[in-house]
Amino acid sequence: MDVAIVGLGMHPFGRTPTMSGLEQGAAAVREALADAGTDFKRMEFAFGGSQDSGNADSLVNLLGLTGLQFTNVANGCATGGSSLNAAYSAIKSGQYDVGLVVGFDKHDRGAFNPQPADWGLDDWYGETGLMLTTQYFGMKIQRYMHDHGISRETLLRVAEKAFRNGSLTPTAWRQTALSWEEIDNAPMVSEPLNKYMFCSPAEGGCALIVCRADIAHEFHPRPIYLKTAVVRSRNYGSFEVFSPAQPPEVAASPTVTASQAAFELAGVGPEDIDVAQLQDTEVGAEIMHMAENGFCDHGEQEKWLADGVTEIGGRLPVNTDGGCLANGEPVGASGLRQVHEVCVQLRGDGGARQVPNEPKVGYTHVYGAPGISGVNILAR
Amino acid sequence: MVPADLGSTGTLWTWTIQSFMPKTPYHTDETPETFTPYGVGYVELACGLKVESRLRENTPEQLTIGMPMKMEMITVRKDEEGTELLTFQFCAAEEQH
Repeated sequence: MDVAIVGLGMHPFGRTPTMSGLEQGAAAVREALADAGTDFKRMEFAFGGSQDSGNADSLVNLLGLTGLQFTNVANGCATGGSSLNAAYSAIKSGQYDVGLVVGFDKHDRGAFNPQPADWGLDDWYGETGLMLTTQYFGMKIQRYMHDHGISRETLLRVAEKAFRNGSLTPTAWRQTALSWEEIDNAPMVSEPLNKYMFCSPAEGGCALIVCRADIAHEFHPRPIYLKTAVVRSRNYGSFEVFSPAQPPEVAASPTVTASQAAFELAGVGPEDIDVAQLQDTEVGAEIMHMAENGFCDHGEQEKWLADGVTEIGGRLPVNTDGGCLANGEPVGASGLRQVHEVCVQLRGDGGARQVPNEPKVGYTHVYGAPGISGVNILAR
Repeated sequence: MVPADLGSTGTLWTWTIQSFMPKTPYHTDETPETFTPYGVGYVELACGLKVESRLRENTPEQLTIGMPMKMEMITVRKDEEGTELLTFQFCAAEEQH
């Protein structure tokens, strides 16, 4: 049994001082239910998560005590991807007909401050100043630029595109395009990445209604089919965040393994994808993920960005809603935002940011600590 | 567990610079006023192992992938009894101009 997405809901990302994270999640669910023309009583199951805003299953207090199976998912940046993966299996297996996937969060301002013990590390690692994700991102792209001839101009191009696309997206947090000079002259955060090259922790909620493909038209006239949902963790030797040491062996990142599995399961290749959302926690991530997901060779991004291949009107539009850079990262909701955006594009509802020529197949990719990756392939 | 001598020199595999004072769990005697940016990198040892480390060098001009590095010990802070708590860091193995 194939799986369809028939309801989309989002509480705008950014800052909403008057609402808790949970309330933003509930708002997203109500919008998704309305989009699917149904109500919460019809939901047979739910998978959901938030990192900093409490238990997703307490959403039932706001949405209805209907007795449904509600499972909380906690998988860092891949929480949304893992929730969707679980929902996919629940329907694919025949266990359920229709259910809900939801993610939300509300983070404090400024960078995350993870604790070493939560990641299996000793206190010295944090006390001496190595427990910062920003350092890892800076170091990974620094080495990548050295190995594959990526210039600083390409980093700037990715940031410029993100804020330009954000300016076309009504639900985005950053809705003002930034000039080349503004990005170029922003304060340095972690060499070679400056302030406008990183996304920020934020707030927001996102929800999807999923169902058996054969009943999809009961809910929505334009269902989007989830061809596959894959989550993979790291292999020994891949270069991941919070690693006090790296072995001599070098392994591919979990993005590579998740991507390869997803293409194989969906029976399509990178050349079949019309629109993609790739994890862009910072500009280097988007650049590296273009190659790790199989869309181009390592180093080819330099030409792709210069030629506008990943612009909305290009051959492979990437992060059409401005990605994490323009939307911020409410961790629990972020991966679902990518799926939401691909569904909007495949429905043809993208408005000012609509990808031309009626895209048929879309792709989402999320990556997070400590080395986990989720890939979804969707088609109309 | 078997002890292994990894040596104390290597080459710089990648680097960045921590330009602002981290939040907790960072714990030194510094204040936001006295904080000094520090380099962070992975140093590739002769055996192929890469070790993550603070770096003494803290400007882009001083750091190049592939440059020879050596280990040194530095004081992180003093504890309640005044004992100095030490950690390792790497620095350029050759005098820089």
